[in-house]
Amino acid sequence: MIYLKPVLILLLILFSGFSLENKKPAYLTKWVVTKGCSLKVGGSTNINKFNCIIANYSKPDTLTFYSNNTSESLKITGSLKLDVQNFNCFNPVMTGDLRKTLKSKEFPKLTIRLLSLSRYPEFNNKLNTIKGVVTIELAGTTKRFEVDYRFVSDGIKSINLIARRQVKFSDFDIVPPRRIGGMIQTNNELDVEFNLNMKVID
Amino acid sequence: MKKILISGLIAGITLFILSYGGLFLAVQFFPSLFIEYNNPLFNSDGSRDILFYLHAFVISMALSWFWDRFKILFKGPAILRGFEFGLVYAIVSLLPAMWITFSSLDITFTMILSWFLFGLMQAIVAGLIFAKTNP
Repeated sequence: MIYLKPVLILLLILFSGFSLENKKPAYLTKWVVTKGCSLKVGGSTNINKFNCIIANYSKPDTLTFYSNNTSESLKITGSLKLDVQNFNCFNPVMTGDLRKTLKSKEFPKLTIRLLSLSRYPEFNNKLNTIKGVVTIELAGTTKRFEVDYRFVSDGIKSINLIARRQVKFSDFDIVPPRRIGGMIQTNNELDVEFNLNMKVID
Repeated sequence: MKKILISGLIAGITLFILSYGGLFLAVQFFPSLFIEYNNPLFNSDGSRDILFYLHAFVISMALSWFWDRFKILFKGPAILRGFEFGLVYAIVSLLPAMWITFSSLDITFTMILSWFLFGLMQAIVAGLIFAKTNP
């Protein structure tokens, strides 16, 4: 009976150790962001529409993929940090207005953090559609979204990822701008599209 | 004093309806004229809406006092007096104010011209009302 306690403790440690080992996601691969990435935002007011873009994002951010042993889904670590000041609405007035609305001076970065993919894209298929989860941090507020990705692969190691999603100003605690006593009002909905060019590096 | 307040109030209500009704219709029918208002120069959080809508009463009371003080200078029939009063206000007050505004803010000439005409219209309407209610 006196030996039973250490044996039980040993068994407990061993089992918990194995259990932890099984839950830890296994490293799968790494992707690096290459040139020509963009983020488009489309919205409207009661008098016009606007389309703004951060073009030519080319910081070599890295996304690391981990396979999940219990399902087909993948965990991702890595993020893209875009300068809100780089938004261009092709009209200086609208550009300045969007930057002010997104509080670019206070919160200069828009961060897109990719969290997961429903499955790893098949490089043999030219076109894949996959679901994923991201968080978007904008104007000091972080919000989690499910997005539908469209992957276009060159069949080797380069990939183009396009994600579209409708978000709302209110998701980020931003009040849509209203002017001249509310006679000009910006609609709450925004169509966001990010277009990423990536390369598998590992 | 009573005449100034009553005339000012009548002009205020009239201008409120005409100005904001006209502005609402203009936004609906000529939206392209208002695209420039999507500009960080303009208050966008709604915190000053009440001040915006009080403008009709502020200008009416100010003009009512101005009319009472100088009405003897405007001669002829009520319509002519009202028009002349509006023009005097536009030249003495609006034109210099619009001039300095256009010279210092990043706004278009169309926008400043529309503000001038809007103010002129308001002053003429107010002048016509004062010529009838406080001759």
